[in-house]
Amino acid sequence: MGNTEKAQRMAVARQRSNIYGLLASVYRQEVTADLLHQVKDPQFLGVLSDLGLQLASDFFQKPEEELLSDLAVEYARLFLGPGKHVSPHESVQHQKGDGQGGLLWGESTAEVKRFIESTGLSYNSEYTGLPDHISVELEFMQQLTLREEQAWREEDEDGALDCLRTERKFIEEHLIRWVPFFCDKVTREAELPFYREMAALTKNFIEFEREEVEGYAGDLK
Amino acid sequence: MSENVALSRRKMIKGAGALALGAAAGLAPISKATAARGKAPRWAFIVDLRRCTGCRTCTVACKAEMNTPLGAFRAAVYDQVVGTFPKTEKHFLPRLCNHCEGNKEDGIPPCIKDCPEYPKDRRQFITPEGKKIRYRGGATYKRPDGMVLYENELCTGCGKCIKACPYGARSWDKLLISGKDSTKNGIAKCTFCQHRVDNGVVPSCVNMCPQKARIFGDLNDPNSQVSKLVKEFGLLENRDKNTLLPKENTVPMLFYIDPRGALMKMANARKKFEKEEAWVDQIT
Amino acid sequence: MKRDISRRDLIKLGAASAAVMATGKVGGSSALAGTVDLAAGGKDFSPQTGAERKMIPSACWSCVTRDSMIGFVEDGRLVKLEGNPNSIRGRGKICSKGASGINQLYDPDRILYPMKRVGKRGEGKWKRISWDEALTDLAARLKKLRDEGHPEKFMFHYGRMKASSSKIIKSVFLANYGTKTIGNHTSICEGAKWTAQELTWGKHYDNWDFDNTKFVLNFGSGVLEAHTNHIPTCQRLGDAMVDRGVKMYTFDVRLSNTAAKSTEWLPVKPGTDGAIALAMCNVIMQAGLYDKEFFKFIRATKDPNASTAAKVAALKSHLAQYTPEWAEKVSTVPAAKIKSLALEFAKTKPACVISYRGAVAHYHGADTERAVQMLAAITGNIDNPGGRCRAVGAKWKYPKGPKKKPKAKALKIAQGFPGTIAYPTHGANHQVLKMIKDGRAGRPEVYMWYCYTPVYANGECQENIDILKDESLIPFTVCVNAYYDESAALADMILPNPSYLEWWDYEDMVSPTQVPEYYIRQPLVKPLGESRDFKDVVCDLANRMGFPLGFNSAEEFVKMSCEKTPAVKAAGGFEYMKKHGVYHDPKAKPKYYGYKKAVKPDALKKDGVIFDKATGVYWNWHKSKAKSEAEAKEKGYTKTKNAYKGYIGQEIGGKVYAGFKPDKVNKSGYFEVYSELLEMKKFPALPSYVPIPEHKKMSANDLILTTYKVPVHIHSRSANCKWLTEIYHDNPAMINTRTAKRLGIKDGDKIKVKSEAGEITTTANVTEAVVPGVVAISHHVGHWEYGRYASGKKSPLAAGDDSDFKLKWWTKKGVHPNWIIPNKPDPISGQQRWMDTVVKVRKA
Repeated sequence: MGNTEKAQRMAVARQRSNIYGLLASVYRQEVTADLLHQVKDPQFLGVLSDLGLQLASDFFQKPEEELLSDLAVEYARLFLGPGKHVSPHESVQHQKGDGQGGLLWGESTAEVKRFIESTGLSYNSEYTGLPDHISVELEFMQQLTLREEQAWREEDEDGALDCLRTERKFIEEHLIRWVPFFCDKVTREAELPFYREMAALTKNFIEFEREEVEGYAGDLK
Repeated sequence: MSENVALSRRKMIKGAGALALGAAAGLAPISKATAARGKAPRWAFIVDLRRCTGCRTCTVACKAEMNTPLGAFRAAVYDQVVGTFPKTEKHFLPRLCNHCEGNKEDGIPPCIKDCPEYPKDRRQFITPEGKKIRYRGGATYKRPDGMVLYENELCTGCGKCIKACPYGARSWDKLLISGKDSTKNGIAKCTFCQHRVDNGVVPSCVNMCPQKARIFGDLNDPNSQVSKLVKEFGLLENRDKNTLLPKENTVPMLFYIDPRGALMKMANARKKFEKEEAWVDQIT
Repeated sequence: MKRDISRRDLIKLGAASAAVMATGKVGGSSALAGTVDLAAGGKDFSPQTGAERKMIPSACWSCVTRDSMIGFVEDGRLVKLEGNPNSIRGRGKICSKGASGINQLYDPDRILYPMKRVGKRGEGKWKRISWDEALTDLAARLKKLRDEGHPEKFMFHYGRMKASSSKIIKSVFLANYGTKTIGNHTSICEGAKWTAQELTWGKHYDNWDFDNTKFVLNFGSGVLEAHTNHIPTCQRLGDAMVDRGVKMYTFDVRLSNTAAKSTEWLPVKPGTDGAIALAMCNVIMQAGLYDKEFFKFIRATKDPNASTAAKVAALKSHLAQYTPEWAEKVSTVPAAKIKSLALEFAKTKPACVISYRGAVAHYHGADTERAVQMLAAITGNIDNPGGRCRAVGAKWKYPKGPKKKPKAKALKIAQGFPGTIAYPTHGANHQVLKMIKDGRAGRPEVYMWYCYTPVYANGECQENIDILKDESLIPFTVCVNAYYDESAALADMILPNPSYLEWWDYEDMVSPTQVPEYYIRQPLVKPLGESRDFKDVVCDLANRMGFPLGFNSAEEFVKMSCEKTPAVKAAGGFEYMKKHGVYHDPKAKPKYYGYKKAVKPDALKKDGVIFDKATGVYWNWHKSKAKSEAEAKEKGYTKTKNAYKGYIGQEIGGKVYAGFKPDKVNKSGYFEVYSELLEMKKFPALPSYVPIPEHKKMSANDLILTTYKVPVHIHSRSANCKWLTEIYHDNPAMINTRTAKRLGIKDGDKIKVKSEAGEITTTANVTEAVVPGVVAISHHVGHWEYGRYASGKKSPLAAGDDSDFKLKWWTKKGVHPNWIIPNKPDPISGQQRWMDTVVKVRKA
C-alpha cells in the first residue's frame, strides 16, 4: 500500500469516526444547547443541505429554550416513552430467529456487550442505559474507527486492518441488521424535522458504511 | 455431556444449567436404574387428568424453556365444557408431542415416515452404561430411547412432517429458518426437553407443574413412577382409552390417566385432536 | 434526503461533524471507557462462549402469594424462573404468572427514566428528567406541606406493599414524615373477609390445612387457580383430593376450574352463600352435631359467661329461621343437598370450610364470612389440624428508624363516607377519589400511588379518570411504576420503579404448614436503565427533607433485619439468606390451638392490667387511648379506644386463656359468633342473612353482573406478559344458555351491558358453565394502556417493533367490566361490591 493511500485511509477513518460520534450524540440524550448551536451553524446546515437533508430553517427560528423543550419532548416521544415509542435497543428491534425478539436485554444485548468488551473497551460505571442502545453501538464504531486512524498514523497496517475487520464484523452482525429498520420507523414517526432527517442520515450512512467497509477491507482475507 | 445427538451448542449449555439446578437445588433427578442394565431407556410421559387444573404453568414453562414464538405451542392445554346446567363439567387436556412408537409393522411414526430427509446418517446412542446402540438419523428421527426429535440443520422446510402428524403436534416455527432452504421456516415440536433429560433432569413442564399432573420417566425401570402408574392404571393394555386417536395406530408414549372419561367426552363434544386444529392454547 | 451518500459527501459530512464534535461537550457523557485493544480485537465473538447459568434464589411478587423462586441468569440476563425446591411453602413450584415474570422484566415498553408531564395532565406529552431533578422537586413539595403543619396533604396510595416494603415505606418513611393519609387496595380485594375474621377470631387471615383435612366445603374461592396463597395451598389440596380421596364441594356462580375439579359444583345465585352457610349451621345445630368442647370458646350470646347449653340454645333459636328449604329459595341450591352436605361436613373430622371473594365481595359480604366462620366454629374446625387455621408467617425484626416520630395526621378519606361503614378496618379505598371530589374531608395536595392503578382497578373507571385528571381537585400526582398504565397516563411525574426481579425485600407470607418460613427477595439482575427501587428512593427523600431513616437502601434494611431477627441470625444471617433464599426451623412444630394456651398469672399482675367484667377480658389500659385507669374502667374494654392493643387474655370458667386475640377491634378473647361490636352499630349481633337491596327491586329481565379471575392473569398487572396474554386476551361475557335464549342472544353476539354506572359493549359467551340470571365477566383485560400486548394498540409506533410482536396473531383485547361497576361499599366492612351489580343486557 502506498503512502498516499495510507494517508487517504487515515483521513477516511477520521471522517467516519467524526460522523459516528455525531450520530451517537444525537441518540444518546436530548439535544443539548451546545449541540443545537453547532447544528444551527450555517456551515453545518450547508453540508446537510448538500446531502439533501431538509432541516426546515424556520424550525430554528423559535426561541432556543422553546426549541430545546420541543426537541426534548420529541426525544421522549420517540425513544423513551412512557407508552408507545420506537425502542432504541437492538434486542427489541433485531429481527432474529430466536424467539426472544422484542424484549429488552435479549441475547443480542449480551452479544453486543461481549463484542464491545472483547475489544478492550468497557462500559462506564456511570452509564445507566442498556448495553445495546443505538448510541452505544455508534460510539463503539466511533472508537474503532478512531483506533484505526491511529494505526494508520503509526504506520501499523496490520493493526489498521484488524480494526477494519472488527468494524466490518460489527456492522454486519449488528448495525445493518437493525439500524436501517429502526431509522425507517423514526423517520415515519418523527414530528420534528431534526429527528426525521437525522434518522434518514443515520440509515443512509450505515448502508453506505456496509458497502464501503467492504471496499476498505477489500484486501482483507 | 451426552453424545447422543448433535445438539446446538446453545442448547447444550442450557442443559448444563439444568444439570446444575438438579444437583444444587435437590430436584428429583430421573431414576438412574437404567445405568445398571446398559439398555436404552424407554421414556414415557403420563398426564394425570385427575390432577390437572388447567393452570397453564406447563404452557408457559415450555415457552420459557424453548423460546417458542407467539402463535406456536409445543405444550398446550385444551378446555372443554360439556353437559347441561347444572350438571355441567369442564375438562382440561394438556397436549404435547406423543413421541409415538410407530405402528407394529415398521415401528416408524408417521412424521418420520414422511420426512424426505430420513433416513440419512447412521448414529450411535450411548446408554448410561456406555453400551452403543446404532440407529438412523435424519431431519426428523427417533432415538432408541423413544424420543422423536428433529434437527433443523438437516431440515428442508418441506412441512411434510407437520401434515403427517395426525395430532397436529408439529408446527412451523416462524422465527426459525430451515437449515437447508433459507426460503422456508423450520419446524417446532416438543422434544421431551431432551437437553434436560440427557443431563438427568425431568422436562421443564414436568418440573414446573404445581399439581404433579405430568410425570416423565423410564418404563424400563420397574421402580420409576411411570412404571408404577402404567401398572396401576393398565395404561399399556388400554391404549384405546388412555391415548389420543388410537385408531391412527401410532402407538403414543403419552398416556392420560382419565378416570372421568374426559378424552371421550371431549372428543364427543368438539375436540378431535386432529391435525386440522391449530394448536393454540386459549382460555375461553 | 437523497438516497445515497457518496465518498465526497462522507468527507464533507465528516469534516462538518468534526467541527461539531470539536467543542467536546455537545454529546453528553460517553458510555464506553478505555481504548480499543488490538490484541483483543478481531477474535471469536461467538455468543456461546462462556455462557454459564447462575442460580439466584429470590421471591416472586406477581401475586401476593410471593412464592420463593430461583432465577437463572446467563450473561447478566435473566433467562428463566423456577420455584425454589427448598421452600416449605412452595415446594419448588411457581405458577404460569410467576414463570412469565421475565416478560415483565424485559417488557420493551418499560419506563426506564423519571418522566415529567409537559402540557395538560393526561395529554400524553412527556419530558425526561434526572432523578435529582425529580427528587428535588418532590422533596420541596413534601417538605413545604410538612413545614406548614399539613403532612396529611401528602396522600400515599399503594396496591401491594408487604413485609419489608411496607415497613420501610409505611412504618418508617411515612411515619417519620407524618402522614397517615395512606390508602391501600384491600376493599377491592377481600376486605369483607378480613373484617369478618377480625370480628370473630381477631386476625384477618386464615390458612386452610389441606395436608390434614378430610373434607372441604368451598364458598366462592378459586383456590385451585387464583388464591392469595395460591401455589402453597393449591398443590396440597390437589394431593389431598387425589392421594387421599378428600372430597370438595364448591359453591360458585360459575364453573371455575376449582369448581370443575371439585367433587361437585353447586351453582349458587350471587350474594346468597351466606344463606346456605346459615342453613347448614341450622341443620348441624338441630342434629346435635356441634362440637361441645369448642363451644367453651365461642361467644354466642350477649352474656359472655353463658353456659354451653345456653349458647347452643341461643344459636338454635337464631338459626331456626334459616331452613334448608328457605335457603333453596334464596340461593337455588336444593334443600336436600344443603342438608346432606351439612351433615357430611359436621360428621367428617377434621373438615375445612374455605371462602373468598365469591362469597364476600357483596353487600353484607362480611356477614357471609361470619356465617362461614360460625360453620367452622360450631363443628370445632378452628385452628386445628385439618381445619381453618389462624395464619402463621415469619416474624421479622427490623430497624424502626428515628426514635422520635412526629404525631402523624390523616385526611379521613380512606375509610369511606362518614357513618356509612361500621368497621372499615381495611379501608374503603375504592371510594377515595369520590371523597376527594366531595372535598368535605379535605383533599391531598400531592397524591402518589405505588403498585396501584386507581383508574383501572376500581369501579367506575370514567369517574376515576375525570377526578384524577382534574388539576383543581388534586394539584400534583405522582406515579411509581415500571409500566405505563391507565393511571400513569394521568400522572404529573412518573418515578420508574424496577420490576420485582430487581429489588430487595425480606418476606413473610403465610405458611400452609403452620411453620413460619423466612425468605427474601434479592435482585436477579441490576435495575434496568435508571429505574430505582422506591424503597431506596424514600431513603433519599428522607435525607433530602432532613430526617434520615438510619439506613440508606432496601438492601441495607434487609441486611440489618437478617441480623436483628434471632432465628435468621442463628442460621447465618444475611449471607445465609442470600445463598439459600429461605429459612425455617427444621425442629419447629406446626402451630395449632393457640387459643387454648393458659395465660401465666404473672402477666395479669403487670402494671395497668385490669379485668373487664362485661367481657371477661384482662387488658392493659396503658396501651389504649384511655387517660387513666378510672376512665378505662368506667368506659370498659369494649368502648375504650384501642383497648384491643392491651389485650392480655380471656377468662373462661375461672381460667384465663390466650383466647382469640383481637387485632383491629375491641372484641373479646372469645371466638365471637355473637358480636357486640356489630350490635353497637345496629347490625344483627349473630350472623344473619340480609338480602341485597338492589336485588329485591330487579325486574324479570335484569341480570346480576359478577367478575372473576382466570388462572393465567393477575388482576390488573399481567397483561403486558406476552406469554399470558397470548393465552388469555379476550373476556366475552358468560351468559347461561337459557338466559341468553330468553334475551334473544346467541353465542358470539355483540351485546350491551348497562348498569346504573354506565354501559359497555362486549361479546356474549353463551355457556352452560354459569348460573342463569347472571352475566360473568373477568377483570384482567380490556386495557387501553399498559404496553403493546395489553392495550392491543397496533399503533404505527409499536407495529413491527420486533420479531415476536409481528407474530401476534390475536386482535381482540377484551372489555373491562369495571367501567360499569359502581364503587359501593359493604356497610359492615367497606368491601367493594364487585359481585352484585344489577345490569340490563341486550343485543347490540
